[in-house]
Amino acid sequence: MGTLDSALNRDRYVAVHDSARFAALRRRSNTLTLWVSVTFFGFWFLTISLAAFAPDFFNHGLFGPFNVGLLFFFLSSFSVVVTTAVYMRLARARLDPLSEEIRADLEGDLG
Amino acid sequence: MTTVLADPPPITNTWAAPALATVVALVLAAVVFAIVRSVRGRTRTPDDFLLAGRNVGALPNAVTMVGGIILYSTVIISIGHIALNGLDAIYLVVAFTIGSVLGVLIYAAPLRNVGGYTLGDLFVLRARERPARIASAATTLVVFTMFMVVMLAAVGLVANRMFNTSSTVNKPFVAGVMFLVGLIVIAWVYMGGMAGVTRILVFKTILMVLAVAVLTVAVMAKYKMNMVHLLNDAQDHAPPNKSGAKLLEDGRLFSKGTTYNSGQDPWVHLSKLVCIAIGGMGMPWFFMRFHVARNGREARQSAGWASMITAAFFQCIIILGLGAVAILHAKNVQVVPEHRDATLPKLVDNLFGKWANGVLGGFALLSVAAILAAVLINGVTSFTKDINAARGRNPEPAAEVKDIRRNVLVIGFASLVLGTAMAPLLTHIFIPTSIDLGASVVLPSLLYSLYWRRFNTRGLMWTVYGGMVATLVMVVFSNGISGDPHNAMFAGLDFKIIDLEPGMISAPIGFLLGYLGTVTSRERNDAGFAEMRVRALTGAVIPAPKAPLARSADTGEPESRTPSEAH
Repeated sequence: MGTLDSALNRDRYVAVHDSARFAALRRRSNTLTLWVSVTFFGFWFLTISLAAFAPDFFNHGLFGPFNVGLLFFFLSSFSVVVTTAVYMRLARARLDPLSEEIRADLEGDLG
Repeated sequence: MTTVLADPPPITNTWAAPALATVVALVLAAVVFAIVRSVRGRTRTPDDFLLAGRNVGALPNAVTMVGGIILYSTVIISIGHIALNGLDAIYLVVAFTIGSVLGVLIYAAPLRNVGGYTLGDLFVLRARERPARIASAATTLVVFTMFMVVMLAAVGLVANRMFNTSSTVNKPFVAGVMFLVGLIVIAWVYMGGMAGVTRILVFKTILMVLAVAVLTVAVMAKYKMNMVHLLNDAQDHAPPNKSGAKLLEDGRLFSKGTTYNSGQDPWVHLSKLVCIAIGGMGMPWFFMRFHVARNGREARQSAGWASMITAAFFQCIIILGLGAVAILHAKNVQVVPEHRDATLPKLVDNLFGKWANGVLGGFALLSVAAILAAVLINGVTSFTKDINAARGRNPEPAAEVKDIRRNVLVIGFASLVLGTAMAPLLTHIFIPTSIDLGASVVLPSLLYSLYWRRFNTRGLMWTVYGGMVATLVMVVFSNGISGDPHNAMFAGLDFKIIDLEPGMISAPIGFLLGYLGTVTSRERNDAGFAEMRVRALTGAVIPAPKAPLARSADTGEPESRTPSEAH
């Protein structure tokens, strides 16, 4: 790839990057990733912090052999499935159509 | 935690069925050879050899990722760990599932969309080529070396537990099995490339998931599907613990005094849970699975399905761990840390008899060998691609495939010799250390590369080498190396300073150094950031006008691939 070509390519990437459509995609993507990550990992760090520093709370019996610690374990396992499902769904609905449009335009220009 | 040749205390092996295990292993090896032979035509270009033509479907790729988390330590040792330490060990197992979600949220789609073969292909979009490639190679090859050593040790552990009945370690036998399995794995990778590795991983995952599912049903059936009875029995039959916590209570690993000769509890166990969650995804041989997907969307999908399947799989592991102590009672659960991996075979023996351990032994050997193959091809990828790029070489595809095949042999043999030579040491520490590097080197450099406009070459250097040095120095002074008679590599020595998982401290150091390095350098590449963002979010590649097209026509590559991915 010649220097001239790659400089031209760079200009085209920059033009797309500065377009309003891409700004919308970037904003959506960042917001989604940020919120899902913060919620998911926030819950995990809360769980393990409670396990480390509030053993009495975790050992509080609920019924039979179940206690609060086991409940939090179920919730964190469940949160994996829920988070993944929600993220995949939202990404497909909110990010993929727009990103596909931008890609098709960018790759299509040259024919 | 466990070792092969380092003389653990004797244990009477009442479970192994070596003859049957050998037959099963030979049959599986033959099946795998057939599988690998069937794809050997698909190794003609570097893309085909290293990345299976970037044409692995989302579902099979998800299955291979599940297989990547099924290690000797996360399955067989974990079951013994849970049988002994209950709730606190359960959190350790769940942490691996939590860590896999990072793949869905951050790693999968951008890495695949940017394309290429290694982390270096992301780094070079803004950093200078040569240092960026060397940084990528350094990260990949350090983790590669540690994982090769520890996975070869795992082969030895399987050989010792399942293919042998002596109460002490039969050293020549175990070393022989390690070497033989290593040679077979090198042959698999040489013949089948990534297409072969992918199929081996799928095959082993199916076998292991089936085995675990059957065992889980057998355990539950013993309790007439009543979880409450199972938990009650587990709690009642558990060996006592010096912390005073019952099996399902918080405290067996968290409370004060649970870490040998340390005043840092409960931070010790907490730091492990944090590091696995943020660093587990950062192992190059694992996130390389995203590069073989067809596109960014399928990479994300496969990561997502893998997380879900993993979550379900580890529920079964937890039931098996608790079921083991419930069924076997305290006297049969292995309290000595070196023997934790004997709890599962004892449970299997109790449920089905010795023949089942013969089958499980064969499955376990294949499972470990498959990981070895995945790790080997990742090392070869980085060694060939990053080093060639760093040296400014751009060989023709046919010549490069020759390079790659030679590297499979050279790197394979070198790590086989190293791994066998290190077998007498407790090398288990290399798994947490790799995870720490994932947290302190890969995660910061990836996040900065993807999200920070200002990030530059010096920032990258400081993150990668600073995070790596900080981690490795702390590991040397951690209880995995000395100062702990059960878990340390040099159990007789004591120059330990910290008990915390090093990544807990080195991850913030990696982030901080990346920041400082970046802001102290004037280099700035806004156009590179724009290109990276557009490619990472959309997967767009602007076709390069002439040369690559002509080249791909020569080698007869399929047309479906975009030209700029072919170089």
